[in-house]
Amino acid sequence: MSRAKLTSQLTPYLFLIIPVLLFVIWIVGPMLCTFYYSMTRWDGFSAPEFIGFSNFGKLLKDPVFLISLKNNLKWVIAFITVPVASGLGLAVALNREFPGERYIKAAIFAPLVFSMVATGLIWSWIYNPEYGLLNQVLTLIGLEQFAMGWLSNKDLVMWSIIFVAVWRQVGYVMVLYLAGLSGVDPTLLDASKVDGCNRWQTFRNVTLPLLSPITVVVVIVSVIDSLRAFDLVSVMTRGGPYNSSSVLANFMYIESFHNYKMGYGAAIAVVLFLITLVFIIFYLTRVLQNELEY
Amino acid sequence: MKHKPYAILVIVTMLLLLAACAAEPIIETVEVPGETIVETVEVEVPGEGVVSEKSIVIYNSYQTDPDPIAAEKHLISLFEEQNPDIDVVQSNIPSEDYKQAIRAYLTASTPPDVLTWFAGNRARFFIDKGQIMSISDVWESEGWNEDYPAGFKALSTVDGEQYFLPTSYYWWGVYYRISIFEENGIEPPQTWDDLMAACETLKSNGVTPFTIGTKAPWPAAGWFDYLNMRVNGPEFHVNLMLGRESYTDPRVETVFTDYWAPMIENGYFIDNPSAYTVPEAVQFMVDGKAAMFLMGAFIHNVWPEELNDDIAFFQFPIIDSSVPVGEDAPTDGFFIAANAQHTEEAKALLAFLGSAESQQYFADELGRLPVHSGVDTSGFTAEQQQGIEMLQGADYVAQFFDRDTTPEMATEGMNGMIEFWDNPDSISSILERLETTRVELFETEE
Repeated sequence: MSRAKLTSQLTPYLFLIIPVLLFVIWIVGPMLCTFYYSMTRWDGFSAPEFIGFSNFGKLLKDPVFLISLKNNLKWVIAFITVPVASGLGLAVALNREFPGERYIKAAIFAPLVFSMVATGLIWSWIYNPEYGLLNQVLTLIGLEQFAMGWLSNKDLVMWSIIFVAVWRQVGYVMVLYLAGLSGVDPTLLDASKVDGCNRWQTFRNVTLPLLSPITVVVVIVSVIDSLRAFDLVSVMTRGGPYNSSSVLANFMYIESFHNYKMGYGAAIAVVLFLITLVFIIFYLTRVLQNELEY
Repeated sequence: MKHKPYAILVIVTMLLLLAACAAEPIIETVEVPGETIVETVEVEVPGEGVVSEKSIVIYNSYQTDPDPIAAEKHLISLFEEQNPDIDVVQSNIPSEDYKQAIRAYLTASTPPDVLTWFAGNRARFFIDKGQIMSISDVWESEGWNEDYPAGFKALSTVDGEQYFLPTSYYWWGVYYRISIFEENGIEPPQTWDDLMAACETLKSNGVTPFTIGTKAPWPAAGWFDYLNMRVNGPEFHVNLMLGRESYTDPRVETVFTDYWAPMIENGYFIDNPSAYTVPEAVQFMVDGKAAMFLMGAFIHNVWPEELNDDIAFFQFPIIDSSVPVGEDAPTDGFFIAANAQHTEEAKALLAFLGSAESQQYFADELGRLPVHSGVDTSGFTAEQQQGIEMLQGADYVAQFFDRDTTPEMATEGMNGMIEFWDNPDSISSILERLETTRVELFETEE
């Protein structure tokens, strides 16, 4: 190989060394360490004691783990249906010029900009059964029987929290779809009109398929975000009352840093990682497939 | 050719894996937030050819609120004045971080010498692992065996040796709105029956007797502590905390079914308690919607100043007069790390912190109660005097549920209490579950 060719082949990798090194040290290294710790009993203090896979066995029998899994599942289902549908709906509705369009779009997007902690805090005030905005308004308009303990009722609490997450997510999905819609070739839409399609048929058969790359991204990101959910739960209820709103990330945090069972916490992290990995692999294969088309 | 860079990457990763994890995971020297760098200060005395060394003592504290920090700094500078050849290297870390970081501190190669901490199981945890130095000699030489009340000495002793220096504490009691009691013609109840009668009166006049906020579940544990101590005695309660009694013991179940559940079912507590934090629960009392709150003296931190004259407390009513009286009085204090490098200086600092002068200053400045009985209490507020009297008359001073038992048992226990609150009939299955946890945590050797 000629010297010039070798240099040009090596140069990209030379540039990559630093970021890759940082990635390996800060992401891959700790990840591998977590795998190791998940097979130990460790209180963060004495030496870790290797115990093989028994943490995982214990996990499967732990009722809080099962509750957390169920709650994450509720979150996933909510996230891939509500924000996607309403984000898409809003994008289609707002994809035109009208007075104040920028402000309205900014307002819908704004919740994403706020700190999750602040969002959770304000919403827990809104949900306050005695003094909070929600129950006060319900009572005012005569719907007192619906003024419930939004964060204290074990059947309602998870949905109350998910509602806040969905409220926040809609803006994000809307912006993605707006970008997608602007990329839809107008000549295709004109062609479908010429072919005699009404608005719904155009939407369903032309626009929606053209938006499918965006939809894939949105669904995958929604799933990953719902598996990662921690901030809102931690701020609004800490996983209470008695674990009814526990999610995997919160459960892992409490087991590791509050109960000093780092090995067990690491096992939860590994499970979370494996679940997320399934979706990431799915996403990556799709992205890589598309890349190769060019 | 194309796969070569990937191969290199894989090899690098494997090497890093080997280095990171096969190596001893124990932290040898650790960079922990807040820990200052240790230096021995060398003081050169001019005119003499001799370099004399000033010794140091490393002191770590979890005080970060402005008032306690200022008081602490004052005390430290007093100590340095009295001991000109000792430099105190002080670090203050927020208490939530401190609770996690303390483990790293104690295993470092140069640990802090003196640390602030909580008495009870929190200290016990480290004492049992040999991380705390015995200070029985300091107790002896400073005369604390005479000057400190028996309850506090018992608290600091494990197997006949003293390990902890308790310095300040506060009481728990039933705080109530004086005006609401007067309006309803109620006197502070002293027996359980009186309390139930008072609740009935309040309820019939449209006032919820008790407020409580269990979003963070520990206020519920206050109720368990007191009911258990009043019904079954402090000795049983403490043994339960230490994992030596069983949660399925009928005595435990009685607390829930005969005392607590009836209160909940009669509507003596506000609705949806687990939706409220403590300040939010206090709001009910401020608004006059509720009359009482079983809480620690720090309720004053969130009580509006304009209502300072309208709040007082009474001792949790006696249920069975034949049972010894236990009170919750969470105690803060100090200990010396077992691996401390500056033992002499550390003991000197500890002696100073445990002295009557130190505690007088701390108590006067912050309104806490001093443990040293030589402190002049005449300048204390009426409420402080009441608190002191109540605690000095107690037969046993407990530390509060989540400081008396291990963190994991505490979490399970408190979650169980909230679940019981939601569904009082489920108490038997809850207690069985707690018992399983207890056996796992205390009887299966970790």
